[in-house]
Amino acid sequence: MKKLLTAIFAMASTTCALAQETTTSPLEISGSVDTYFKYDFAKNPLNGKTSFVTDHNSVSLGMIDIALKKKTGKASFVGELSFGPRGQSQSIPDAAAGGSSFNIQNLYVNYDFTDEFSMTAGYMGTFIGYEVISPVGNFNYSTSYLFTNGPFQNAGIKATYKFSDKVSLMAGLFNDWNVYSASRGVSAVGGQLMVAPVEGWTAYINALSGAGFGGYGTIIDLTTSYQITEKFKLGLNAANYDIKDSAVPGSYAGAALYPQYAVLDAVTLGLRGEYFKYKAAGAVPATAFTAVTLTANIKAGGLTFIPEVRLDHNSDKPFFKEGGAAAPNGGQFSLAAVYAF
Amino acid sequence: MKYLFLILLAFFSIGLSAQQKQFSKDDNGKFIYYKVVDSQSLNKDTLLQRAKAFVNIAYKKSMVQESITDSSVMAKGTMVIDKTILVAGHPSGEVSYNFVFEARNGKYRFWLTDLLFIPYQRDRYGNFVATTKIGVPLEKTPGKLGAGTWKDILNSAYNKIEKFGDEFKKYLATNRLEKANKKAETISTKKW
Repeated sequence: MKKLLTAIFAMASTTCALAQETTTSPLEISGSVDTYFKYDFAKNPLNGKTSFVTDHNSVSLGMIDIALKKKTGKASFVGELSFGPRGQSQSIPDAAAGGSSFNIQNLYVNYDFTDEFSMTAGYMGTFIGYEVISPVGNFNYSTSYLFTNGPFQNAGIKATYKFSDKVSLMAGLFNDWNVYSASRGVSAVGGQLMVAPVEGWTAYINALSGAGFGGYGTIIDLTTSYQITEKFKLGLNAANYDIKDSAVPGSYAGAALYPQYAVLDAVTLGLRGEYFKYKAAGAVPATAFTAVTLTANIKAGGLTFIPEVRLDHNSDKPFFKEGGAAAPNGGQFSLAAVYAF
Repeated sequence: MKYLFLILLAFFSIGLSAQQKQFSKDDNGKFIYYKVVDSQSLNKDTLLQRAKAFVNIAYKKSMVQESITDSSVMAKGTMVIDKTILVAGHPSGEVSYNFVFEARNGKYRFWLTDLLFIPYQRDRYGNFVATTKIGVPLEKTPGKLGAGTWKDILNSAYNKIEKFGDEFKKYLATNRLEKANKKAETISTKKW
């Protein structure tokens, strides 16, 4: 591993010396603010089995997110901070300082050695999966089981080579998931192949193997979206995660489909249909969820209203009825307002 | 009364100058940015060579030459337009266009048309990228909810295209060879 890192740094520093400075961009400032109301049909906040949108019958906070980006010549940085439950305590399972310390979304530097080849080092949003932490990056306000169980962020160093507008390849070395500094060394290797076979269709084939949730494991992920017509877009996410120690729970497999249709200029309707299964581990049996989420995005300038109805099912009855009895179904309505700037 | 009249006149003048510039429309009802430029000292071949260099060298990252004749150049291109918050901002999208250049001895004309807007969205890494490959014609009338945003997009697009046009005119008026051969001016502090 050390030899590989040394080789990468040596290559980077050599090319750096040859690189020419070009232009300087102004400082970019962007971000978002989001808030929501959720009503669980069984009046039980524990029925939410995926990330965020946790509170029942409450006007609650998402997060304020502020991102800075600057490019000078071929070098650039991105720093993105978030404050609020969505970006802090709800974004990481074992957040330090009482769940209030996790507020860096992105913090990395990038260098474009050529138009085709670039390297990035720091803490980055994960390259795995369809959905992201920022509500601006998702169509649905609630999140999928695949998102909740996959990595949120990866710290590491990665190299990306763009063969053409239709094909690029990324490879990198990473820490374990969702941590600022490695607890088990730079112990994961990951890669991403991007292909864009036809105009409007982009597919990412991702792999990450090493220290992650539940110990060492390997995740293989396909994330793709196709803007088929001006009004209709179809997205797909499928993933498989296997923890090396088969007795440790947390391995999973699943797929989610995201059809979206613009009914008006400012109104788009979308459905998320998901199947997700935790694999059996030791004495813990497998269990499977299915979920359907119907969402609308209503845009007015920088503001997006997101009304959403979500229904979940698991025959092992992990949900609760109003009186507290176990139930195979869960359901909720939420209305979110997201402002992006 | 005289002062009041002068103040009103001043406000009126400021109001006129603050009016936003708009795209003209061509015979097909499409937005067009059209310029005819007198260039008495330059012949057709020189103008054509410089227009080719502009597309293939100066703007090679954002323009692709489509066709060329002995008096014209056609190209496709894109330009990124910005959303500005006081002094800082971020890209809000890109406008694609068709570029046509035609030269005669002593004058030339060029125009940009088929303007399509592709919105950008911030990706998971904090970079602004295109959300779709399908552009929306700038001539489209938006609904009430998006009217303000669309107006900002039109203004940004016009300003960017006007700047592009000015750069093109400047490029065609400049002899690159002469400029490259001209030594950088040095200042001597020994004699004064």
